[in-house]
Amino acid sequence: MWRKLRSLAAWGPRRLCTAPGATIFALSSGHGRCGVAVIRTSGPSSLKALQSLTAPRALPRPRRASLRLLSDPRSGAPLDRALVLWFPGPRSFTGEDCAEFHVHGGPAVVNGVLEALGGVPGLRPAEAGEFTRRAFAHGKLSLPEVEGLADLIHAETEAQRRQALRQLDGELGQLSRGWAETLTKALAHVEAYIDFAEDDNLEEGVLEQADREVQALELALGMHLQDARRGQRLRSGAHVVVAGPPNAGKSSLVNLLSQKPVSIVSSEPGTTRDVLETPVDLAGFPALLSDTAGLREGVGPVEQEGVRRAWERLEQADLVLAVLDVTDLAAPTSRDFLDAVVAPLACREPKGSSPHLLLVLNKCDLLPSEGPCPRPGPYPYLLLSCLTGAGLDGLLEALKKDLAVLCGNPSTGPPLLTRARHRHHLQHCLDALGHYRQAGDLALAAEALRIARRHLTQLTGGGGSEEILDVIFRDFCVGK
Amino acid sequence: MFPLRGRGLWVARRQRGGPAPPHFRRGDRRAEGHAGTEAAAAAARCGSRTLLLTHRVDTIGQMSCNPSFGGIGKGHLMREVDALDGLCSRICDQSGVHYKVLNRRKGPAVWGLRAQIDRKLYKQNMQKEILNTPLLTVQEGAVEDLILSEPEPGHTGKCRVSGVVLVDGSTVHAESVILTTGTFLRGMVVIGLEMHPAGRLGDQPSVGLAQTLEKLGFVVGRLKTGTPPRIAKESIDFSILNKQTPDNPSVPFSFLNETVWIKPEDQLPCHLTHTNPRVDAIILENLHLNSHVKETTKGPRYCPSIESKVLRFPNRVHQVWLEPEGMDSDLIYPQGLSVTLPAELQEKMITCIRGLEKAKMMQPGYGVQYDYLDPRQITPSLETRLVQRLFFAGQINGTTGYEEAAAQGVIAGVNASLRINCKPPFIVSRTEGYIGVLIDDLTTLGASEPYRMFTSRAEFRLSLRPDNADSRLTFRGYKEAGCVSQQRYDRAAWMKSSLEEGIAVLKSIECSSTKWKKLVPQASISTSRSVSVRALDVLKYEEVDMELLAKAVPDPLKKYTECRELAERLKIEASYESILLYQLQEIKEVQRDEALQLPEDLDYLGIKDVSLSHEVREKLHLSRPQTIGAASRVPGVTPAAIVNLLKFVK
Repeated sequence: MWRKLRSLAAWGPRRLCTAPGATIFALSSGHGRCGVAVIRTSGPSSLKALQSLTAPRALPRPRRASLRLLSDPRSGAPLDRALVLWFPGPRSFTGEDCAEFHVHGGPAVVNGVLEALGGVPGLRPAEAGEFTRRAFAHGKLSLPEVEGLADLIHAETEAQRRQALRQLDGELGQLSRGWAETLTKALAHVEAYIDFAEDDNLEEGVLEQADREVQALELALGMHLQDARRGQRLRSGAHVVVAGPPNAGKSSLVNLLSQKPVSIVSSEPGTTRDVLETPVDLAGFPALLSDTAGLREGVGPVEQEGVRRAWERLEQADLVLAVLDVTDLAAPTSRDFLDAVVAPLACREPKGSSPHLLLVLNKCDLLPSEGPCPRPGPYPYLLLSCLTGAGLDGLLEALKKDLAVLCGNPSTGPPLLTRARHRHHLQHCLDALGHYRQAGDLALAAEALRIARRHLTQLTGGGGSEEILDVIFRDFCVGK
Repeated sequence: MFPLRGRGLWVARRQRGGPAPPHFRRGDRRAEGHAGTEAAAAAARCGSRTLLLTHRVDTIGQMSCNPSFGGIGKGHLMREVDALDGLCSRICDQSGVHYKVLNRRKGPAVWGLRAQIDRKLYKQNMQKEILNTPLLTVQEGAVEDLILSEPEPGHTGKCRVSGVVLVDGSTVHAESVILTTGTFLRGMVVIGLEMHPAGRLGDQPSVGLAQTLEKLGFVVGRLKTGTPPRIAKESIDFSILNKQTPDNPSVPFSFLNETVWIKPEDQLPCHLTHTNPRVDAIILENLHLNSHVKETTKGPRYCPSIESKVLRFPNRVHQVWLEPEGMDSDLIYPQGLSVTLPAELQEKMITCIRGLEKAKMMQPGYGVQYDYLDPRQITPSLETRLVQRLFFAGQINGTTGYEEAAAQGVIAGVNASLRINCKPPFIVSRTEGYIGVLIDDLTTLGASEPYRMFTSRAEFRLSLRPDNADSRLTFRGYKEAGCVSQQRYDRAAWMKSSLEEGIAVLKSIECSSTKWKKLVPQASISTSRSVSVRALDVLKYEEVDMELLAKAVPDPLKKYTECRELAERLKIEASYESILLYQLQEIKEVQRDEALQLPEDLDYLGIKDVSLSHEVREKLHLSRPQTIGAASRVPGVTPAAIVNLLKFVK
């Protein structure tokens, strides 16, 4: 306990600089079909990172590629034979000390290197656009470059947001949010004890309660981290969501693209009532294809739930395949769909970061061979017949173009970085909780909780000091 | 509480002629608040000829609400005000009647220096200080309007203030003006269902000035606060109450003082009593007679009045501290009993409380509602964006508390003076002090309830400690602001070099843990591993202080125990050494973002070629962050928006 100072000396500076603030790392190449993945670090501990992962042989010559065996500094397990580069600041991309690891592009290798880097003291995963912001701060970017940068960061944050949505949707998300809530409350109570206990009467046992909560949290986090490798299998690839009004042929398209009967197809509207997922190889890129319920109102409760899930899935999409029945464009369901889904996506900045959109008009085989084709409004579209396969080549070509862009963005694709981020923040949160127990005075104990909470809120969002004050004023009668 | 009754304060350039002759208006009784006195004195210390306008000179230094200074967070502010050579800490060391450090067992980063202050002595000492400050003139008069002229090119603002008009129509010209209006802008005093215009009980409010400010386009809001009734000392039965005695020895507020003016044994005690269900009943039964509680004007989320405590936390017992108002005062201030019931019900409520059964109420408690100006309209130097050279400090910016007011006063005074000398503003970052946290919170987030300082607001709490305020601010105050005396600078410089030397020496002494265990048997040093341990590490143990360590290793440590403050500060530095090393890194990251300055006249609503959402534009327009760092703290501003802003960095 904080009251019994025992091991304050254990707070050695070496342990502490592992908290956020110094050297960042990220996967900086795209994934898709790349043979080589590039992982970058920037900051004062870059050299240490390089030395930790490579055997402590002679340092590579600055700005020259050298072949090195990478191994995990904690376990000693070999990771990959890789090209490494060392860029001492200020002559580097960011102006700081930088290192680059060019590893083989497989997910296992990339994941291993990212996790190894996360374990090096002083290193943490980069936030969206952090490399480029550092470069700007060191005068390495000109103003025109900054303009492009804003778009890139918007794209990255949006992609990360969608990725986080996908994850937070699941069990891990619920867990993290629960932990963050517990921790916020425990911290608020410790802060209240510091700021108000001597002037106002807080209830008895405020601190003991916080101690118990922190202890339980420590246990839960520890168990989760031990278990994480198995429990946290995340699907990789761009998320492609097929959406449209009922009976437009979404399921037919999914079956066509995946070349297997994923979804039941029938002429009855509302056949698909849940989200069906299937991992596919689309034009050479890994993707997760989701078939969704047709969007319409005023149907039975089961289908309505399917519609709700479809909307939820649209929120998380990287690419939306909007499917309409070309013979039925004037129907209210088609018009509603164009207004509610297609219009907002199509109107966004082309270079922006909102989900990409491909508008597909299905059943073109039913069009009369003569006369003008009906138009779905001002949006570009592709004609397709799932029945005859007409237009499929054009669709695959368009998909290839979009997926290349999507997968070129390192943060969209495989959730490796997200996973590394998760482990990093959870581990550091756990470490900080340990410091809470050992802290010599209450101010130090509260600091440990603040650090722990900062790591958790990096995963779940939120985390301002106003939130703490809200809890304090909700739970305690304080003030004079 | 509602402190600081400010008036205008005029800062004139040295070479200018004297101000217009004072004009006295009978019946105008207003005190000069803590923001005003600190601002006037700071401007004068910076070398500007300063005129302090107040309704009555003899109310300068009046403590209008609670008879105490300091506390947790607030004590931190006072140490920082003192580090910039402000007045209130030194005056408190000459005027206190009960000194006590709060949070003693919770760690030096959160110690709260606090004292009960003798109102009369404080006023006397403050007046003596103010009337003897070189370059500072005091004049009686009430401000009605501002004199405005063409704006200076190269600065934002649609006009420039060049003086003020008093109620009697006379004018005073000035190079810059600081307004510290307290609760007087359209102030309304409320007791029960009665409401009458007043800044404080018996004092006229400022209506003309409020109208002027509104006409200029300032966004005005309304806040409320209150004060408890006062009780006759001899009518209280202290014998059955818990007594709290002051610290021995007393800890002074000022870095310049080794001790306070009064011995601990001569100081007065405080007493503690509690409310009970009968108090709750009186309040709940009479809510219909209590318009202050029903009003929609925003009060704080915390519970300043007994009514809000009872309403929000029913069936609980609440503390009431009985605090002396002074050495020879007959009054007791019941802290925690701020109330706006009709006077006769207040007395009835008081007599329900243990120890107060026969209490005589000498003055009823009352509420005050007043105008404040959205502080997002001022810059971190406290100058308004609308009117050049016009500065605001204190409750006008939405704060509550003497200490919060004093802190703003010093910053406004210094900057009013720097501004007319064409020097860059003096801004304290939130990485440097609670003053920085206070002003940054106000100017970027605004105030939706009276803003009070808490230590939980400071991200870098372990670095911003009461003990090291001088090393954080005194040198900057001396070099950049010119508001710090040579004597204080020398003292801080001596302390800094002694600390550095002491820490270096403590790091250089290394022994095995077994040897330390023998030398300092009191410390629970683990001898399980035979590693060499520095003296600095031994000093980290709770049981060890410099005295003990110097007994074990007299040479060379003996000399660092001769100054008590130095010995204590070495101990504190040792305790926080490792965590501070880490915090320093974070501070550097924040400072890097704060070095990226945004232009003041950026038109967020109009700028083109940037993809900023309308919502983000609105938020930036309201807050007008001065740096990338401040912009990133505005809620709702995304990382992408921040990068877009980099384009405009000066």
